[in-house]
Amino acid sequence: MTSTLKGITLKGSAELVAEFFSFGINSILYQRGIYPPETFTRVTHYDMTLQLTTDPKLKNYLTNVVSQLKEWLFECTVQKFVLVITCLETNEVLERWQFDIECDKSAKEISAPREKSIKTIQDEIRSVIRQVTATVTFLPLLETPCAFDLLVYTDKDLMVPDKWEESGPQIIDQSEEVRLRSFTTSIHKVNSMVAYKRTDSA
Amino acid sequence: MAEGGDVEWELSKENIQPLRRGRDISALHQALSQQQDGLSSAIIQQRQAFESELRMYDGDDPLDVWDQYIKWTEQTFPQGGKESNLTTLLERAVTRFTEGNKYHEDPRYVELWIKFAENCPEPLDTYRYMQAQGIGVTQASLYIAWSEEHENQGNCRKADLVYQEGFKKCAEPHDKLLQFHKALQARVSRQVMMIVENDNSDDEPKQLERNSLAELKRRGKKKAIAPINRVGSSIRSISGGLQSIGAPVLGNASNSRLVVFDENRTQIAGPSEPTLESWAAPPTSRAKENEQNPEKWSDVKIPQKSKFGHAVMAPPPPKPTFQPFVEESDQLPTMTPCKINPAVNTVLSARKPCREETPLKRLQEHHQQQKEAESGKLQEQSMYCKELLLSGAAEFCIEELRAERYFKKVTQEDGGQKDAASASP
Repeated sequence: MTSTLKGITLKGSAELVAEFFSFGINSILYQRGIYPPETFTRVTHYDMTLQLTTDPKLKNYLTNVVSQLKEWLFECTVQKFVLVITCLETNEVLERWQFDIECDKSAKEISAPREKSIKTIQDEIRSVIRQVTATVTFLPLLETPCAFDLLVYTDKDLMVPDKWEESGPQIIDQSEEVRLRSFTTSIHKVNSMVAYKRTDSA
Repeated sequence: MAEGGDVEWELSKENIQPLRRGRDISALHQALSQQQDGLSSAIIQQRQAFESELRMYDGDDPLDVWDQYIKWTEQTFPQGGKESNLTTLLERAVTRFTEGNKYHEDPRYVELWIKFAENCPEPLDTYRYMQAQGIGVTQASLYIAWSEEHENQGNCRKADLVYQEGFKKCAEPHDKLLQFHKALQARVSRQVMMIVENDNSDDEPKQLERNSLAELKRRGKKKAIAPINRVGSSIRSISGGLQSIGAPVLGNASNSRLVVFDENRTQIAGPSEPTLESWAAPPTSRAKENEQNPEKWSDVKIPQKSKFGHAVMAPPPPKPTFQPFVEESDQLPTMTPCKINPAVNTVLSARKPCREETPLKRLQEHHQQQKEAESGKLQEQSMYCKELLLSGAAEFCIEELRAERYFKKVTQEDGGQKDAASASP
């Protein structure tokens, strides 16, 4: 992170956003019951209590993804980050958490730090995560065992690293979409959205 | 506050009841924005339309109207409550179709029953009633909801038995039942694992021990009898002899180990299946207060209150282990000195469960009344279409019905069809 509290550099910004994704994914996995609640532990971050997984395999997987993501954030080549929740048996997509990332590419040339304090950014991040938690009020109950998948949309000419593979967008047909709050580090702007299967009522 | 997104729902998230099927976000926004100024006329109109549809419907699927009406109510009144009338509506819908077996295995009808049960103070009674009446006994969703209720009450064994019953009845869809049963087993085994792990941390071998240095609580009201706590081989010897003492003797619950449920063993053991109650008559009115059986007055003693009033309040909880988040800009409110000792404050006491009239009981009474009517015992007979007027969640008056039919007739005549049906109810 940046040494001064007042400004933010590209590197710091990438780190902050990657950190947000790490906590955000953990929160969603916990809130939506993808993994049993006993496998999570509480930590305090962003001045709030968050749930982090203790499952070693999952932890390892998430660390890998997030560090790769951080690299791409630093190069400003990510466009979207998507968490897809699918039914384990039918492979049907039930929920889709989409985070659109807008990168300010001029930050690559101009290395001078932007003026935005970490505290304000973290405040914004906090309200996004709070809202993620609050979505249980309208999301349908996931009644079947579910799996999750992470998708990253990057610029076209990027090399696909090992362990990553190309994939379709995994869109839900007939979905209900709800925009959530967004936050910006003034270099990366993250807009969040959740899509879920529409209820069949009139 | 960050920009973007409609945040209306977030501000009132505590007032939104989660639905199993999720919510329609646009309906939610609409409902929340209309919340401030009472019921909007659009909602009232829509409700009225449903109400009259309930009465005027003459197709062959009357349940459909009820189903839509209830779904609409759920979406339109996110906070539930009296205004939504949901409980009454469910009760009416469920009562409406109890006679005749037309809908008994209809998934929609069973779904309504389950929603009704969840609104009852005693859901388990309702599920048992459903079973006895043969409603939804081949529907997997009944067994799933029933079992979940047992599990919520901490009785995993019974939860499992409910699934066994479902399998026996070949409930459909079978896959779904199987899958939920598996999930239950996974949850239970995980719990057991956790407990075993915790047990392993303190290495002492846990065997049944007699309580030592503990107070012996007396049993029996008239004669004080010390409970008999036996351990190991001595337990078995009891059952052989003649038992003259009425009180149950095995009081080892306090230090018994967790019993791991073994389905194979219980199947051998046999008669574990739930007994079917007939439910023909509503259960005896034990719910009524202040009803005393006749007894000899000279023996009666008024129960004495304890020295310190009615109830002892629980001590205030210890300080939380986490740090509550406080905005920096927040100023601590100045504390007013608290003079009232919380230990002697009896203003707030736990609410006694009100058992006066549960929806299920009303339903049974209704059922009973119908039987009586069939057997010709009923003395009253209403000479107007009482059923139609009272069938929805709201009451209609005769003129409303008449107007409804009149308008229907008018529109039909406009369409070029002469209809000779009489307009009088």
